Amino acid sequence: MSGAFARWWSSIAFRQALIFGALVVLTMTVLLVIFYVQTVGVWQRRIDSQIDATTQRLVDYQETRGSAALATHINNLLGDGIDSDTEVYTLVGPDGHIAAGNLTVTGEIASPTRRIFEHRVVRAGRASRSRLRVTRLRDGSILIVGRDMQDPHELEELTRGAILSGAIVTLLMAVVGAVLFRQQLERRIGAIRETAVQIERGDLAQRVPISAQQDEFARLSRDINAMLDRIHALMEGVRHVSNTIAHNIRTPLSRVLARLYTAQNAADPVQALPEAVGFAIAEIQDLNVVFDKLLRIAEVEAGARRQTFAAVSLNAVAVNALELYDAVAEAKGLTLTHTLDAQPLVTGDGDLLANAVANLIDNAIKYTPSGGAIHVDTRCEGSSVTLTVRDNGRGIPAEERTRVGARFYRLDRAVPGWGLGLASVLAIARLHGGTLQLADADPGLIARLVLPAPGA
Amino acid sequence: MRRCLIIEDDTENAQYVATGLRELGWLATVCRDGVDAVGRAVEEAWDVIILDRMLPNDIDGLSILRTLRSLGRRTPVVVLSALAATDERVRGLKAGCDDYLTKPFAFSELAARIEAVLRRSQPGDVVREMHVADMKVDLIARSVERAGRPIALQPREFRLLAYLLLHQGRVVTRTMLLEAVWDYRFDPQTNVIDVHISRLRSKIDKDAPVALIHTVRGVGYTLSPGGPTRELAG
Repeated sequence: MSGAFARWWSSIAFRQALIFGALVVLTMTVLLVIFYVQTVGVWQRRIDSQIDATTQRLVDYQETRGSAALATHINNLLGDGIDSDTEVYTLVGPDGHIAAGNLTVTGEIASPTRRIFEHRVVRAGRASRSRLRVTRLRDGSILIVGRDMQDPHELEELTRGAILSGAIVTLLMAVVGAVLFRQQLERRIGAIRETAVQIERGDLAQRVPISAQQDEFARLSRDINAMLDRIHALMEGVRHVSNTIAHNIRTPLSRVLARLYTAQNAADPVQALPEAVGFAIAEIQDLNVVFDKLLRIAEVEAGARRQTFAAVSLNAVAVNALELYDAVAEAKGLTLTHTLDAQPLVTGDGDLLANAVANLIDNAIKYTPSGGAIHVDTRCEGSSVTLTVRDNGRGIPAEERTRVGARFYRLDRAVPGWGLGLASVLAIARLHGGTLQLADADPGLIARLVLPAPGA
Repeated sequence: MRRCLIIEDDTENAQYVATGLRELGWLATVCRDGVDAVGRAVEEAWDVIILDRMLPNDIDGLSILRTLRSLGRRTPVVVLSALAATDERVRGLKAGCDDYLTKPFAFSELAARIEAVLRRSQPGDVVREMHVADMKVDLIARSVERAGRPIALQPREFRLLAYLLLHQGRVVTRTMLLEAVWDYRFDPQTNVIDVHISRLRSKIDKDAPVALIHTVRGVGYTLSPGGPTRELAG
């Protein structure tokens, strides 16, 4: 197999088109063979039965009227002008000389046979091919009846030629079709491949051009573009997160370094150092907490904890969190109340759900001023289970709500925290196939953790 | 004197733990090599083993722990690792460690956890009643009396008190309380534990001549009639 053909053969489009072409050629061949048999074959059989019938008639003629009358009859038949181009009759007497007829008889054809055969003869002085039947009559003379095959053979040749040229044209068309089909496919796939190469080189903004035709390729291209959009968004997200993480970790680190350097270079380092060390320890402990929370969010987002999901009662989770926070709420002068539905069961990770609920209550307590009220309720509604934490604190302005849940986003820098609480609630909600909805309690915030009910 | 084997390849960290334990009167031995550590852990008698996970030559400390446990050794083991993900922690507990602490850590947290682990490994009788100074606690009936005067506690407050009581004279950290009393394996942002302790304290120590619950600054809390002790060796 030559290199060029191997290359063509490796193209699936070319292979498909060629196989399809070969199938068409095969179908055509079968059709033409049937046509050939039905025309040429039938005609030959009809000629044979005519020869048989004529032989029979002439044999009967000889038996009733004698050989001399038969010779006359044959001469009449040859002279009547009907079928004179094709008919073959010859009567050879018992003595071997021709009594009547238009054949020049040679020895080979003068011996009687049972079957009709085709043979080269000299008819009326001209060489041609004929189908013949040779019969020995009762008086010993030989009767030869036949049909000239010049015309049928010419027709046969013609049909064969037509079939052959038809097959060649079909084959050519199949090959040309395969090449065209391959080029068409190559052109459409080429556009996708070109985009893929550019993306591989790092240009994530590239998209597959979508042709005007609403065909499979346009749909595939659209799917690929949607996938690329998602990847692009994720990459942007990762970049953003790395940047914020770098910022939120480098800032405290540089604060610590600055404080330590200052203490080291102070006029009296012995006096300055203890305070600087205390500051450094506090900052590094804070950093450690941030790291821990970030890793936990990453762990949740990775989704591995889905494997240990079990039935969890949202009431139990809520009650536990309420018992953890009631003392803090009381100390801050807040009322912490709850209403619980009968059986708010979800499939999930108890630890993580406790974390999420604790975070929501923690936030409510932080952002509600003394004298305020926080209400927690659980509710089963059809295919979902909802835990709501409602406070009458300052709430979150509508335009800020979409940004809540991004890592390190903080509504109020004066309130202690790292801006990771709602980010982890959001990650936990997503892990459970649920959502975190924020709404206005006017005044205050309604935070809803909506989770799918088991089997929903 | 209590003996502790520290299996840790990082010199700085090993030194930090060893010095801390020696100050508390322990005999601390540091082993930096995983292969060597298996032998020493199995052949010698230790009161506690502190085990790092990522050791030189790609040895996972947990394989040392598994070897130890498969030989039937019940020596208390505290794993100290930078691998903090939940499944890593679960892997550690499955391998048979008694506690799993993630790096970075404060020595006080480690010391408190070693103490708790040692206490757990001692087969004790089922205690029905406990006395500290003039406080009497019935762990079955869940009742508390101070100087003969009954004190009403909520169930959660009772659990908090019972945990402090079981670790009497020893420091317990906020994280330990969250794990034991609330079954929380994360730290809430607000200092919820402090508020619970101060509420418990107001019920237990109010008007009493001797305060029982003490704050250990920067570490946690302790319950004892004589104030916080730095005594870790029993």
